[in-house]
Amino acid sequence: MQPIYHSLEALFNDLPLKDGLNISFHHHLRNGDATQNLILSYLRKQQLNDLNLYPSAIFPVHTELLTLLKEGRVKNITTNYINGPVAEFLASNPLPGQLKMQTHGGRARAIIKGETTIDIAFIAAPIVDAQGNAAGYDGPSACGSLGYAIEDSQYAKKTVLITDHRVEKLPQYEIKSKDVDAILCVDSLGNREGIVSGTTAITKDPVGLKIANNAARLIDELKLVKPGMNFQSGAGGISLKVTDHLREMLRARNVKAGFFSGGITQSHVEMLNEGLVERLYDVQCFDLAAIQSLKTNPSHIAISASDYANPDNQNRVIKNLDLVILGATEIDLNFNVNVTTDSYNTIIGGSGGHSDTATDSFVSLIVTPLFKARTPIIKKRVNTITTRGKNIDILVTERGIAINPLRLDLLDRLKESHLPIYPIEALLEKAYAYTGIPQEYDLRDQPLGVVEDRDGQIIDTLYTKKRR
Amino acid sequence: MSRSFLFIPGDVPRMIQQLEIFSADSVILDFEDSVATHQKDEARNLVESFLTQHHFTTPAIYVRINATDSDEFIADMQTLKNLPIKGIVLPKASLAAIETVTKHLTLPIIALLETPSGFLSLPDIAQHPSVEGLLLGAEDLAKSLDLERTVSGEEILYFRSQLVLTAKAYHKYAIDTPFTNTTSDIGLLEDIKRSRQLGFDAKAAIHPNHISAINQHFSPSEAAIHEARRIMTIAEKQQSVRFSLDGRMIDKPIIDRAKKTLDLAKRYRLL
Repeated sequence: MQPIYHSLEALFNDLPLKDGLNISFHHHLRNGDATQNLILSYLRKQQLNDLNLYPSAIFPVHTELLTLLKEGRVKNITTNYINGPVAEFLASNPLPGQLKMQTHGGRARAIIKGETTIDIAFIAAPIVDAQGNAAGYDGPSACGSLGYAIEDSQYAKKTVLITDHRVEKLPQYEIKSKDVDAILCVDSLGNREGIVSGTTAITKDPVGLKIANNAARLIDELKLVKPGMNFQSGAGGISLKVTDHLREMLRARNVKAGFFSGGITQSHVEMLNEGLVERLYDVQCFDLAAIQSLKTNPSHIAISASDYANPDNQNRVIKNLDLVILGATEIDLNFNVNVTTDSYNTIIGGSGGHSDTATDSFVSLIVTPLFKARTPIIKKRVNTITTRGKNIDILVTERGIAINPLRLDLLDRLKESHLPIYPIEALLEKAYAYTGIPQEYDLRDQPLGVVEDRDGQIIDTLYTKKRR
Repeated sequence: MSRSFLFIPGDVPRMIQQLEIFSADSVILDFEDSVATHQKDEARNLVESFLTQHHFTTPAIYVRINATDSDEFIADMQTLKNLPIKGIVLPKASLAAIETVTKHLTLPIIALLETPSGFLSLPDIAQHPSVEGLLLGAEDLAKSLDLERTVSGEEILYFRSQLVLTAKAYHKYAIDTPFTNTTSDIGLLEDIKRSRQLGFDAKAAIHPNHISAINQHFSPSEAAIHEARRIMTIAEKQQSVRFSLDGRMIDKPIIDRAKKTLDLAKRYRLL
């Protein structure tokens, strides 16, 4: 049985506190997470330095990290996604060490392989039983799947569960008691409204609807809708509309899909309940409907990041994807996609599962407007490569579709198509007709870090922002 | 022939620059009711600049001008003089207003019928050679007549039917009023079906999300195209305008209709 603590002082009396600690967090509580701030605030009071942080993602709520950064106490950060003040700070203030942006699958691979060593994994656990098993589907801070925390729990030198809800016995759990070294009880893991993503509304924007409609027609013409098809889409409004079109096609053809994977939303749950898909493989719940379904429906299965996307795991779920729908901040003439930085070198996100799924899926399809705020999405070269162009198959915009010329098989399937299919260079010219040719600025200043693909290969360098 | 006419405010650049992607057969750039008085110059400048740089065959571009008795009319006419547009939409249409416009422009006119007096002179308007279509403006008409607007639209049934009858009598296009509720998909579909039943050739819209449903319902159905193909195949094979098909007598009007169906299907890329 693990020791149970009710104060940070008591917990850290029994943990190795020293400069240079490697510590990890998961991001399933998203912008409602209070636990990372709780731990980092304590470490700051202890005047620790040279910290190496391995959060699976960083959100605006993570303000204590910003304080630590300003005080120069953080040496390295390795993560999959950064959004908010921490990203803005890093745009002008390089770390003493390095920022490494990994993929979800790459993070799991690096932990399992020992490339990432974690001294202490702090795992916010919405429900913990008397044995020390933990899950995320219940409790006042329920967040659903704990997929991104599983490898941390298994491979960290010490695993600490942080919980605000304990029960006698859990019928099902994701984190096993044998991997847990300590349990810290707190009043609350965070703010419930921030835990559930607010981005899961189907787009009603006419441009977004046009893009989704083009994507749906393309999916139809590629004959991807078939019994047992495996599908993943993000939680963006356009992706959700494409999922909605897929639902209509499955219904109309009386076809049942195999699985949907990744971040799960209400749309996916409704399709499971309607019998349009056999299983949901859930590494992250995006809304309350998904959390409730994970708790009650045995065909809705929580999976770890490794089982989801670790490239070394031969049984990874995404290996069997037929189609993934993804977004892009920028895409270039070689189909490289950027979802990591904006045009001014500020980090605005990160790969998450973008590169993982694009690499493994039979078809990877990007949905995005051709231009946003008078700026073309297509560039001659993206500011930062998040996903390599060889792994991106199709770009769908409101004004046309571009197929990666490497996918001769897809081009062949579409040779009789009436869809507006153009070379990507022609789509760029269409964008220029409305926006003009934007002046290009080199805003790279000092090296900030690297983008690491899922297999450990460094595919691009991140820079701080040059002042104009 | 257009199935759908989408109104886009003339002073909203983000909408104007997207006008070609909404799949509307025609777009009506608006200088009138959707543009505030202090924005009228901006709308004219924006539309002039955009249409000078971008030329469209699809969609066809119309501009709804301000009324001929308004302070904006002359400026509208000067702006449109050299622009590559298909035609104009004339609000509060009357015979006098049409004649005023034709003194400035020779473009085809879609007459917007939205006043009681306009309806009383409907045959005269329809017969004018510059008029290519009649468009029902139900909201302003209802206001003038103190009609209470309903989703089902019984209160405008008479005007819809009168407009269709007159348009068909003089071989002009009959274009139905927009469905103004932007949240009721069911209401939209009912309204479109009603338009079709009453004989309209097309329908206007004030929201891009209505265009897809309008186009679908104003296109020949798959069944109609299939039937038309069978009829035309036999007619061409037998070189006859009278034959039997599935126990039905087929004659020239039915063959003409089948040919029209296939022409429309081809135009709308349904074949």
